[in-house]
Amino acid sequence: MSNAQATERSERILKQLVDKGKPILGYVYPHTPLEIIMAHDVMPALLYANPTVMGSYEASLQTFACSFIRNMFSQRVNDQLPRVDGVVFPGNTCDSLQNLADIWRLRFPQDKIFRLTYPAGDQGEVAIQYFAEELRIFSNSLEDAYGSPFSDATFRQAVDLVQRFRNAVQFLYAARLLQPSSVPYHRIAAFVREFHLSPLETVVDELRATVNDVEHSLAEAGRVDSTKALQHALLERRLENVSLPSDLPTPRIVIAGGMTEPQAIAELVNAIAKVSSTAVVFDLLSFGFKTIFTPRPAFEGDPFETMARSVLGALLEPTQEGLPKRLDFLKDVLTHLAFDGLIVCEQSFCDPDEFESPSLLAVASEVGVRTVRLPVDPEFSDRARLEGRIQSFLETLAHGGAA
Amino acid sequence: MSEKAKEEKAYRVLESHNFLQRVMFRYMLEGHAASEEGKLAWITSGFPVEIPVAMDVGVSYPEQYGAIVGSEKVGPKLCGYAEELGYSQELCSYARASIGSVKHPEESPLEGLPAPQALLACNNICGTVLRWYDAISQMTGAPVFLVDTPPLEGEQLPHHLAYVRHGLDNLVSFLSKQFGTTLEEDKLREVTDLSTETIGIWTQCLEACKNKPSPLNCADRFLAMAPVVAIRGRDYTLEYYQTLLNEINDRVANGLGAIRDEKVRLLWDNIPPWFRVFRIMGSLAKRGVVFPADTYTHAWTGSIKDEDRMDSIASMYSNVYLNKGLEAKVDKMCNLIKDYDLDGFVMFSVRSCKRYSLGQLVSKELVSERTGVPGVVIEGDMVDSRLQNDAQIETRLDALLEMLL
Amino acid sequence: MGIGLDLGSTTTKGVLVDKSGKIIAAHLISTGAIASKAAENVLEELTKLSQLNLGDVSTVSTGYGRTQVKFAHESITEITCHSVGVHNLNPGIRLLIDVGGQDSKVIRIGSNGRPTDFELNDKCSAGTGRFLEVMARVLEVSIDELGPLALKSKSPCPISSTCTVFAESEVIGRIGSGESPANIAAGVHQAMAAKISSLSRRVGIASPIGVTGGVARNPAFRNYLSAALNCDLWMPEEPQLTGALGAALLAIARPSVF
Repeated sequence: MSNAQATERSERILKQLVDKGKPILGYVYPHTPLEIIMAHDVMPALLYANPTVMGSYEASLQTFACSFIRNMFSQRVNDQLPRVDGVVFPGNTCDSLQNLADIWRLRFPQDKIFRLTYPAGDQGEVAIQYFAEELRIFSNSLEDAYGSPFSDATFRQAVDLVQRFRNAVQFLYAARLLQPSSVPYHRIAAFVREFHLSPLETVVDELRATVNDVEHSLAEAGRVDSTKALQHALLERRLENVSLPSDLPTPRIVIAGGMTEPQAIAELVNAIAKVSSTAVVFDLLSFGFKTIFTPRPAFEGDPFETMARSVLGALLEPTQEGLPKRLDFLKDVLTHLAFDGLIVCEQSFCDPDEFESPSLLAVASEVGVRTVRLPVDPEFSDRARLEGRIQSFLETLAHGGAA
Repeated sequence: MSEKAKEEKAYRVLESHNFLQRVMFRYMLEGHAASEEGKLAWITSGFPVEIPVAMDVGVSYPEQYGAIVGSEKVGPKLCGYAEELGYSQELCSYARASIGSVKHPEESPLEGLPAPQALLACNNICGTVLRWYDAISQMTGAPVFLVDTPPLEGEQLPHHLAYVRHGLDNLVSFLSKQFGTTLEEDKLREVTDLSTETIGIWTQCLEACKNKPSPLNCADRFLAMAPVVAIRGRDYTLEYYQTLLNEINDRVANGLGAIRDEKVRLLWDNIPPWFRVFRIMGSLAKRGVVFPADTYTHAWTGSIKDEDRMDSIASMYSNVYLNKGLEAKVDKMCNLIKDYDLDGFVMFSVRSCKRYSLGQLVSKELVSERTGVPGVVIEGDMVDSRLQNDAQIETRLDALLEMLL
Repeated sequence: MGIGLDLGSTTTKGVLVDKSGKIIAAHLISTGAIASKAAENVLEELTKLSQLNLGDVSTVSTGYGRTQVKFAHESITEITCHSVGVHNLNPGIRLLIDVGGQDSKVIRIGSNGRPTDFELNDKCSAGTGRFLEVMARVLEVSIDELGPLALKSKSPCPISSTCTVFAESEVIGRIGSGESPANIAAGVHQAMAAKISSLSRRVGIASPIGVTGGVARNPAFRNYLSAALNCDLWMPEEPQLTGALGAALLAIARPSVF
């Protein structure tokens, strides 16, 4: 399913829900606790950057606002956002999103705007307790706004659903790494986009069917167990003992970045005529690996605390303390998973991306992996040149000998 | 300068600036000495500095260094070194200048800041500081410690205070391990008392500008604020502000303003363009324009008074101006305009400071609506002069003044 | 034989080489509005110049408009083509700076003549030929006169803006305050050299350094860039043709190229 088709289908589904009277809560940040929202019988729906939106932010945002928030705000001004009954923004993740929520509230006082504030410090239990309380407050505000209280039973169902989704996509990530021909990257990205647009049983069912197909293909090569082991290793972030097949096609490329969407990048790369279908093997994007490999919340105990523990267990965001850990993990990924190339996406005017990028590029250089920087914005306004960069990069990988 | 020449300048220079220079010089020397002893921390401007000071750790302020870089007009050069390392020109210019000066201290004013043994960041002023200090950590090997003060909306709730308080306790452990010192309760009291007293005097200096004519212009305050940012909690800092306050009170008693012919009183919002601020203020002074209040120097307020000093610190540093959202900024600006009887406002949009600048287009409208006074938004940068165009700025300021003069 | 076609935003270049890589014919025209038309025109001209039938000749296209050339057998980016072209002319070059009308590129060339790393300035017109065009207009000289004018100066007037729009207004201001056009022109080149030098340092300076592209023909640009990089610069005789040459060389090496 293409980007456009997935979007269309999700919007149809959302409309059906809206017609049935179900409240929809839009969100932008990948680590939004979908399960908590769903526990209130509210449907969370990802609001993603729309490449075709006309810039209409000038009355409220300066040009040095990050391209993501300019896009989101323009959608709101042009009434192009999908039908939602409110939006939840993250707090304490970056100054642009922080300001966007404030500005949005002032410009659109009728909109229901929620803010969920994340801890940025690497403080273990203390951060978990803080965030658990923030989640509780968020939950209370959802009840106030939409009328239905937090339901333990619905929460458990939601946890189960999200977990099944993540488990399946994790498996696909591992399969793609071990045997790229078993599943296209853009297919994985499409599932991720679809589920975030509308987290439904139907999406997980379709995903399950794909996983079965992929498992069959892996079984033929006797690789099912090693795929599951790799999935586990990625979840634990312990890659030293990973062993890869010797016949992996090259080049093997990983894409790193922040709020750049996997689906959008996959489509960009696909559009380049000469790219091998097995080239993009992995990503370290916020909507990709960083959230897909979130540890499972426990079923027992205070739901807000278990959710806090789960969300904060996804450790790789540059908005948080811990650059050395992130760089160590990148080094492990590049060395143990046999990568030839790293593409680093830098969203235009994005502080987290632009601060992190030189360090990521340096790590790759250290371990002899070639890199290319991709300065992106949600509209891919410079599409031809982005394609040119990627194509040049591939040419470099194919033939670059000694420096 | 001859007495006659002094008389003819539109702008009165403060006598206490000499004292200020000595104070800042001392701060610098102490920073170098601490670094040599292996006891120096770089620190963000909103960091609860009383704790490291009470634990005998020396401090240096890269942001204040950024102001020096800007004033010496070497922003483009140092930022350029950071850009050569791959840091985008879109990033905070304090951070870029800092990274550039660590890369090439020999090309930097004062040969750069003395080498740090720890990097202490508090994100109450912005989220960028963590990433900036992470970059510096990669270059210098000094570890980063973050005091996380998540942005507040309204009152600080108990769980928020508890979280920040835990962070401060962890800070104490970190500093003990890193520098082999301890935090004594009475030393903390002493330092926080000094800090509170200093801020109290500083606040009186600010409030004296309610007088007409205003005894200080914003450029004076931008210079004078350096110690209350960089050297809170020290006795010589307090002395300086007492001296400054005396001079201010003298001016008020004699009806002397910071500028000779006060006609228009304006509010300034945001960090100034350090490389151009005196020229801009000077030329406006010639037209009778003074800035009795600004949001930048008014950001250093608050007191640490409660029995539980650590909780008090947690509360004060969580509640700083930049940590409270756009509405709070609008309220503050409206209050300043009212309290200082101002005729209009200038919002400086610093291209590389998203925390402070984003939202200004909205707050400009709201402030005008609520106060009835006109304002203008001008764009530029605090350190990177390449991002600023004088002609653009002049046109907009002229337009505002045509409404007021 | 092999044909290389480089379709830039401003000019389209074509090079015909024999199977040993020797240039048989070369041509350059303005691209105009339709890239594919320009490509056809260049092909026609190469046919005339060489007096050969070029019907079946292996053809590689490069440049911004490379995908518009339907009759090309393959399209390869300028990064690779310039690298290969320059390596063919001067195998010692390790860093190539190509400054065109709309973008600038810095390319690390490996010992095998292929790029190992690169960086582009493509979002912003400062540091590209466009910057100089705008300034030439303001100073009321032609683009060809701008370089020699700048070389007359002993004391460049510093232009601090890195944005073309800002720099334009800065230059206007300087003219207004009576600065000599030669000094202003020198300042303009110095500013541009600084920007390109910064881009180069991001990739890492490795000498010897080569310059290509339309802007490389400007002697003042070479002078100030050399000073900024603190390094001598090598320029091929035809600095605008290296992309097409590289494409032609890759054409004769097909199909084993990629």
